[in-house]
Amino acid sequence: MSNNELLIIDGHLDMAANALTLRRDLTQPVEVHREREGGARRPPSGHKDSPERRKGPLIPEQGPVTVTLPEMRAGRVGIMLSTIMCRVQASGPDMDHSVRTPAAAYAVGRSHLAYYQALAREGEICWVRDIPELDACLQAWEHPSPTTPVGLILAMESADPILGPDQVPEWYQAGLRSVSLTHFGANTYGHGTGTRGGLYPSAYPLMDALRAVGIVLDLTHAAEQTFWQILDYWVGPVHASHCNCRALVKGQRHLSDEMIRAIAERGGVIGMVFAEPMLNLSWVWEEPATHTKAATRSMSAVAEHVDHICQLLGNADHVAFGTDLDGGFGRDLAPTDLDTIADLQKFLRILRARGYGEEDVRKIAHGNLVRFFRDAWGRTR
Amino acid sequence: MKKPLLIADSHLDLAFNAIQLKRDLTASVANVRAHDPEPLMRSFGTCTVTVTELRKGGVGLVFGTVMSRIDPNDGKTATGMYVQSQCYGIGMGHLAYYQAMERDGILRFIRTAEDLDRHVAEWAQYPNTTPIGLVLAMEGADPILGPEQVTEWYAAGLRMVSISHYGVSSYAHGTGTEGGLLPRARPLLEALQTHGIILDLTHLAEQAFWEALEAFDGRVAASHHNCRALVPGQRQLSDEMIRAIVERGGVIGVALDAWMLDREWQRGVPGCDQVAHVNLEAVADHLDYICHLAGTARHCGIGSDLDGGYGQEQSPRDVNTIADLQGLAGILVKRGYSPSDVQDILSGNWIRLLKETWKGAK
Repeated sequence: MSNNELLIIDGHLDMAANALTLRRDLTQPVEVHREREGGARRPPSGHKDSPERRKGPLIPEQGPVTVTLPEMRAGRVGIMLSTIMCRVQASGPDMDHSVRTPAAAYAVGRSHLAYYQALAREGEICWVRDIPELDACLQAWEHPSPTTPVGLILAMESADPILGPDQVPEWYQAGLRSVSLTHFGANTYGHGTGTRGGLYPSAYPLMDALRAVGIVLDLTHAAEQTFWQILDYWVGPVHASHCNCRALVKGQRHLSDEMIRAIAERGGVIGMVFAEPMLNLSWVWEEPATHTKAATRSMSAVAEHVDHICQLLGNADHVAFGTDLDGGFGRDLAPTDLDTIADLQKFLRILRARGYGEEDVRKIAHGNLVRFFRDAWGRTR
Repeated sequence: MKKPLLIADSHLDLAFNAIQLKRDLTASVANVRAHDPEPLMRSFGTCTVTVTELRKGGVGLVFGTVMSRIDPNDGKTATGMYVQSQCYGIGMGHLAYYQAMERDGILRFIRTAEDLDRHVAEWAQYPNTTPIGLVLAMEGADPILGPEQVTEWYAAGLRMVSISHYGVSSYAHGTGTEGGLLPRARPLLEALQTHGIILDLTHLAEQAFWEALEAFDGRVAASHHNCRALVPGQRQLSDEMIRAIVERGGVIGVALDAWMLDREWQRGVPGCDQVAHVNLEAVADHLDYICHLAGTARHCGIGSDLDGGYGQEQSPRDVNTIADLQGLAGILVKRGYSPSDVQDILSGNWIRLLKETWKGAK
């Protein structure tokens, strides 16, 4: 490890979904997965309603793996927010990460939790649930060894696995520290990506319960109206774990300048996504014809989003990583100069080359998320 | 119409169906059939089991499994795992599904003899509103990371465990393989015995079956298992095995999978491309066989496995949904079984085994 490598915190990964739905043993290096999955390719058409997808295998192929624990250690990605992820959805062809009933969503959520518990039991990861655990993990990563556990801040993408406000203490007890109410579509609590609308009434008592225990809200995947309704009601800490800028790439999935300012005003942090659909200016979510099969943009495209946020806010205090590198795509749609998550260190060099000072690079690598959670947890304890 | 008799089904994979197959088990069978995508139906068949059908059929007591196994080459269901940490994750998810169903008042856990007595009494009085009783079982012990974890699983409600499934588990050789127990089996069996958990002998390979019987001193059963004398094959129980289970006071649940009932069933051909040649009479044949071998009707029951990777096309032809299990009662009466024998076979034997096991426990 060279001397100017910094600890990186990745603000958004879906490790458990990869381990349990895609059957990936994340303790193995990427080569093992790539061989097992036999150079997995996407189906002939990526569109979810295409006949190929309808007749396709139950478990879709998701491109060559880029994220496993050994690669994270190699790239000094020492702390992650990783999710419990399941949503309730009406039956349809695209059910990869959804189920039919809240009971089943709760079950999938608990299965994800249990996988992390098993990894912690093996010493592969360690829990980061409060300031002392955060400090201990930061310290361990000052002089990492090849077996240093990766720190886990447990997050939830779509609150469907929480069956009601009365269940929030149970989830907090289990380690949950960040929740996004919605994901794709409309779920139990409100409207998410790809839909128009706001929160459902059930979201308000849920937010009260989240606030009471000190869980932070993640605004990623909130529909426009949902986003602003949350900010109107919620007085606790907010972040956007994996979101890019609408000013650069069109579409509801990205943050408008007003949204970026609103998050920064609350002391929040925005995690940058390393995915072609979030970086390619001609990619339109709703138009499959614009979806390229291979990545066209390099990591410098991500740096443009960092630039935009820093210039908009006049500082580098609100940007972080939220790569989503295992979120339904692989090396095929990751930046062209990224082979595995270990290459995130290259991104820091790109920032330095663009003129970012070392202090700012450090903030983006981990400092901003450390500050964010230190503030959030200092308030509740 | 006469009130249906209480049926106990000693093997259903409800949680796997709800989570891995994404079936809404609170809906009707017709609804699930309408929503199942075509590839799923091709692999898992036409749905016959939902909560509505259980109630319609008087199936008031079920053994519901936690099921996840190490099986990297699992081509059929693509749910076999590489390492135990994954199985633990899936297994805890199955447990959580049953807990959520209990929260919704649809199922309720049966953990003690008192729970069971109360449940049977309430079911007799209010069969339309009493939640369905669930005895938590595990098919293949890969979700148990080690003997020290048995306490956690027992506290969660686990009351019956088979230590292998298809292939070789972390603990023993299972169906389709030849071999015995693995070194990690003995400490696990000891922990299961200490907690008064029933050892389910189903899916053990020949040698592993006999080694497990010798190593384990607690109560045994075979949750979904038919007779090799009637349908050849390693998956079925030989006469010696049946006698050994009977000697230990165990119960054998007879399964409804055509593969285990129909000598002409072709294993390599998908269920949707052939028809079963048997009806419920064939199930009664296996029950008869066990009763004759045992000299009593106290050691067999129903372990239908009706949601275990196959559907209506691979079930007896007179079974459309699990509610049709009630048809067995009439068949047994016609064959000369007394009313009390019929009730024993439909549920009494499993209830007795559970109560005997749990009275000995803490």
